[in-house]
Amino acid sequence: MEKKFMLGNEAIARGAVEAGVKVVAGYPGTPATEIVDHCAQFPGVYAEWSANEKHAFEVAAGASLTNRRSMAVMKHNGTNAAADFLMHINFTGVRAGMVLISADDPGGLSSQCEEDTRILINSYAHLPVFDPSSVQEAYAMTKAAFALSEQTELVFALRPVMRINHAGGMVEYEATVPGDRSPEFVTDRKRFVMSAVVEKESGGELRPKMRHRWLNGKQAELKAVMEQSPFNWIEPGEGDTGFIGCGIGYAFLKEAEQIHGAKLPILKLSTLPLPEQKVLSFVKGLKKVVVFEEIEPVVENLIKKMCFENKIVLEVLGRGNYLPQEGELTANLVLNAIRSALADKPYEAAPQGKYIPARTRTQCSGCSHRGLLIALKDVVRKNGGIVTGDIGCHDAGTFEPMNLQSTIFCMGSSIPMAYGIKAAGFAKPVYALIGDSTFFHNGLTGLASAIYNAADITVIIAYNSTTAMTGFQPHPGSSSNLNSRINPMDPGAVCEAMGAKVFRCNPYSVEETIAVITEATAAKGVKVVIAEALCYLKFGRDGQISYVPKQVKVDAESCNGCSVCVRTFGCPAITIINNKAVIEESACNGCGVCVFVCKRGAIK
Amino acid sequence: MKFDLVIAGVGGQGNIVASQAIAQCAMDAGFTVVNTETKGAAQRGGSVLSHVRLADREIYSPVVPHGQADVLLGFEPLEALRYINILSKGGKYIINMAPVPTILANMGIDTYPSEQEILSEVAARGLTGYRINATQAAKELGNVLLTNVIMLGAFTAIADILPAEAILHKLLSMVDPKFHEADIRAFRRGREMIAAQL
Ligand code: SF4
Ligand code: SF4
Ligand code: SF4
Repeated sequence: MEKKFMLGNEAIARGAVEAGVKVVAGYPGTPATEIVDHCAQFPGVYAEWSANEKHAFEVAAGASLTNRRSMAVMKHNGTNAAADFLMHINFTGVRAGMVLISADDPGGLSSQCEEDTRILINSYAHLPVFDPSSVQEAYAMTKAAFALSEQTELVFALRPVMRINHAGGMVEYEATVPGDRSPEFVTDRKRFVMSAVVEKESGGELRPKMRHRWLNGKQAELKAVMEQSPFNWIEPGEGDTGFIGCGIGYAFLKEAEQIHGAKLPILKLSTLPLPEQKVLSFVKGLKKVVVFEEIEPVVENLIKKMCFENKIVLEVLGRGNYLPQEGELTANLVLNAIRSALADKPYEAAPQGKYIPARTRTQCSGCSHRGLLIALKDVVRKNGGIVTGDIGCHDAGTFEPMNLQSTIFCMGSSIPMAYGIKAAGFAKPVYALIGDSTFFHNGLTGLASAIYNAADITVIIAYNSTTAMTGFQPHPGSSSNLNSRINPMDPGAVCEAMGAKVFRCNPYSVEETIAVITEATAAKGVKVVIAEALCYLKFGRDGQISYVPKQVKVDAESCNGCSVCVRTFGCPAITIINNKAVIEESACNGCGVCVFVCKRGAIK
Repeated sequence: MKFDLVIAGVGGQGNIVASQAIAQCAMDAGFTVVNTETKGAAQRGGSVLSHVRLADREIYSPVVPHGQADVLLGFEPLEALRYINILSKGGKYIINMAPVPTILANMGIDTYPSEQEILSEVAARGLTGYRINATQAAKELGNVLLTNVIMLGAFTAIADILPAEAILHKLLSMVDPKFHEADIRAFRRGREMIAAQL
């Protein structure tokens, strides 16, 4: 055994590698991103950034069918994108052990939504889920999941939350990697061809129904596995009110127990399906239990069902009927709930706090997106157009002071939504603003749909050659993948081949960008504007920038303090001091975009 | 025995380096250490909170619960106020009083609270600690980026959980030797700024 301080994502990667994972595929998404990066550092492991999570899942499945252990890595939104594949691989099962990492973000700290992917994976797809309560456990669970996956022939999922992925702690690990096995693909169409085929042996039943039956039959085996699992346990304590901690909920429960100061009856649950006998033996003699889990009342509802089936009278409290139904758990929330439950009182939510001026997200000073956003804002101000937005650093253009995009949903939504607005009869121009990584993720098919249906929209692709928002991972439009240098796929060439009219501009030149967008708007059909400039933060360190740096200053004589530059544009380097705009030299990166903004010509 | 520290600041102020120096030093000293940071997207300028928890027993939550922190280091006054409820009644704060305005305050949509408002909010909770102008001191030493080192030095003047020299050594081991001299001066400066108030 060795011991090392590591973050949750490193621990998960290590667990996978020690279990003999050989193929790892993912798409960047906070909080799961670094797992793939860590895996890539181990010799003998093939790791990749796939174009999207569904494809990552499919790559991993291909490897598993070829008898090599594999892992797919994504955040919750990605699991949604991969749900179609999930609902097939659950029916076929796998060959070599295969693990799905589906990281949730309770409270949506770094996401567009909050959701509980245990529902998708377990309640819906009937696949097993581990829910780690610590970094050490995340390591141990990932490792165990591979062997169990192979044993049961089912994909095993790990559902860490932000507070596991990005938490650091001491991890004891084995530091051994099992011997390799050779790749072997054996065709087994009865299993791996999912189609409405008539099954002779099953009395002419159709295959989807028979595979569904196979999956249902697996549940007893899974329950037996979980009954023996070292990841569930009972801690005796005083009183007839019991507390159930699931995953990180257990960590908060133990923390609250220490502050509370008395030993409580605790059941720690980290697996789905639940270990039924363990749960039944825990609740014996209790009058009430409170379940702490992220995010939805999944375990709570299962325990209610279990009590009903076993004719047990027990009050089951949790996120469905007692605790807040949204947001992240905290030790304080749990402590509050323990005290209320012991006093037989309703849970009283903490009063809403006082607003403390927020630090809203914006682009870096010197970011090319700001040039693109201000140019597009100028165009729609004049023609009354609407901009649908997408995920990426540019999405902060929806906030003050830019206030540009009118919608942000999920990866790739901007393009179909834009032409949906046109289809509804909206007469003015509609623009879809999307980044390059997002375009390759889920924008391509939306664009095909738009072109095929003879839409009349202008798609603007912010081509900065990296997935900047999640920490600069390469994508198909970059000059490298995780393993080697490649020829970047030019999104403009792709769109042209699809039949779009393609225009190009450098977003640092605001006037040129306005002219190009205006010209594109006037053309008929689906137009694509490629706004190409490298991400300043990533490439600027190596001296690669897409503008000629200039020393930009405010001429105090001509500045009348109107503050248009601050109220409509918002580069963090510009502030108003004593009624004059001031550019903080140490914060300014000399991109020159702000020169356009001041109509008095005070910024030079 | 347990010791909980939170560092509140603005992205780019270097609280991660400061929290790493303390966490690693604590590990060398044989403590159980758990930490986490609220890490936003790649853009700078957001609110960043680092949690460092040490104990001689198991630690469960990576996040310091409200009312439990022994020390709160505020690298920026508004950020200190944002997380002040994490500090325990007997805990101490050290706040760098140099404000970093928010975008919304720059635009006049929000009002950045005055120093007086911030201090009275803190005092209303019955909390005590120290105020220094670490940013100003860092500028005097020739580089505003030394602010976090000054704050780290200041921390060692009020917390004896780990030897100051050990924290300094750990910090130096994490940065380029060409910055060592300036870092040592900044670290000492932080200690002196607190000593002058003790
Ligand atoms: S990380 Fe790159 S793309 Fe994102 S805001 Fe900064 S410069 Fe712009
Ligand atoms: S620089 Fe120009 S836009 Fe900004 S406040 Fe002065 S006059 Fe107004
Ligand atoms: S102040 Fe102007 S030149 Fe400097 S980074 Fe901001 S927009 Fe670019």
